[in-house]
Amino acid sequence: MTVATNGPATPGAEVAGLGNRLVVAGAALTWRELAEPALPSPGAVLAYGSADALAAARHHATYGTELLLTSAGRVDRAMRDELRGAGFTVTELAAGEARAVAPERERPAEPGRLWLLTSGSTGRPKRVGHTLDSLTTVRGGQPERTWLCPYAPGTYAWWQVVTLSLTQPGQHLVVVDPDELDDWPALAAAHGVDAVSGTPTFWRRTLHRDGAALARVPLRQLTLGGEPVDQAVLDRLREVFPAARISWIYASSEVGASIVVHDGRAGFPVEWLDRATPGRPTLSVDGEELVVTSPHHGAGLDGPVRTGDRVQVVDGRVLITGRLDSDEINVGGSKVSAGLVRDVLSAHPQVAWARVTGRRAPLLGRMVVAEVVPAAGPAPEEAALVRWCADRLPDHAVPRRVRLLPEIPVKETLKSDV
Amino acid sequence: MDELSRAQIRDLMAQVLANQGKALPDDDGTDLREIGFRSLDFSELALRVEDETGEELNFDAPGLRRIATVGDVLDFLVTLQRQ
Repeated sequence: MTVATNGPATPGAEVAGLGNRLVVAGAALTWRELAEPALPSPGAVLAYGSADALAAARHHATYGTELLLTSAGRVDRAMRDELRGAGFTVTELAAGEARAVAPERERPAEPGRLWLLTSGSTGRPKRVGHTLDSLTTVRGGQPERTWLCPYAPGTYAWWQVVTLSLTQPGQHLVVVDPDELDDWPALAAAHGVDAVSGTPTFWRRTLHRDGAALARVPLRQLTLGGEPVDQAVLDRLREVFPAARISWIYASSEVGASIVVHDGRAGFPVEWLDRATPGRPTLSVDGEELVVTSPHHGAGLDGPVRTGDRVQVVDGRVLITGRLDSDEINVGGSKVSAGLVRDVLSAHPQVAWARVTGRRAPLLGRMVVAEVVPAAGPAPEEAALVRWCADRLPDHAVPRRVRLLPEIPVKETLKSDV
Repeated sequence: MDELSRAQIRDLMAQVLANQGKALPDDDGTDLREIGFRSLDFSELALRVEDETGEELNFDAPGLRRIATVGDVLDFLVTLQRQ
């Protein structure tokens, strides 16, 4: 890389990927041709459009400014005040126009520092410190690719795709805005996208809405991450793209990209646990929790980090089933993994998506219940789904109530809180 | 929503069993063990009643009594709706 991210700002430094192509808001250009906003440091940029977010990212890569970047919709008034209190100039960036509000207190900028707002699934978003370098996990020569970027600006997943394009020549980006998300295959096919990274919910939604349109996108690389990845979604994608590389990634703002699996199977080999390799993350399990020691960690998060994700070893694979605080359902004293039940339901041929939860029930405390979005064709009957699960799960893990939903729910993070 | 009648609860009980490929006998005196109706099934039936009425059943109120037959289940849930 040619950008000094940990030293003083380097005005005018050339970034390796500036010549890469971008398609954003329907316009084709290069990183170099993006608008050049004037952005203070330390600054929090609230981007209103995808081009604004990319311009802020390029500004940081070029000048090494201290930056927190997010979409405007993720930041409420209280968060703006909090950022100003923490010394950030808060800048709204809309169509290249910057409107800045000064911080409550001035402080020196921390050169090269990039702040991420975590997705805040357990409460208010919190800041995790990174640098462009710690966010850059793909290094070395890569085959030329045109990537779709469906993620919300400033999220860890967004930065993964953006740093790839900023730092590697030949890695082009086609940005899909939230209002274009349902029709992304047409956009991708029109602009030659051959690599896409998305959550399992994103992929399920696409398969569900228009599998034929998806099949027309000439994909050579499919990546899944951000949520538990089950075998059923991997298998369905493999049917559509028999020759593509299908990978899943475990990554978070806290520990960075820590697990990458290319063999088309859910989970990772149990032999990967407790294997220390210099420069690579070490994975371990404490109780039922995944613990990661990662060189790609956020600031102050060196050493083992408890991820809060629950794992189970099944047939020599370590499966990540969900969040510890929500994955376990206690049914009359018997533990049930919501994730494993979800995987069984999702593997039913008439199911496009499933969510499994515990519901308060007499005698047992809680019972397993589910919501399901049917695949195209005749909707499955509750009894058929119950029997499908009963053939594959212990009695107490079988969902007893299954509600059908018309559409796969999805949030801005492309997740659905399964 | 109005409470369910004993007959309506019986229909729901039949549905619980049908989902498992079992049939509910006509005789309310049938022992639950004979038809394999267990605590999981009882809990499911309670959820179905709650879903139909939109009201949560209060199981703390009456104290659990001995429930051995199909009729016991139906009587208990009818009573519970009135607590």
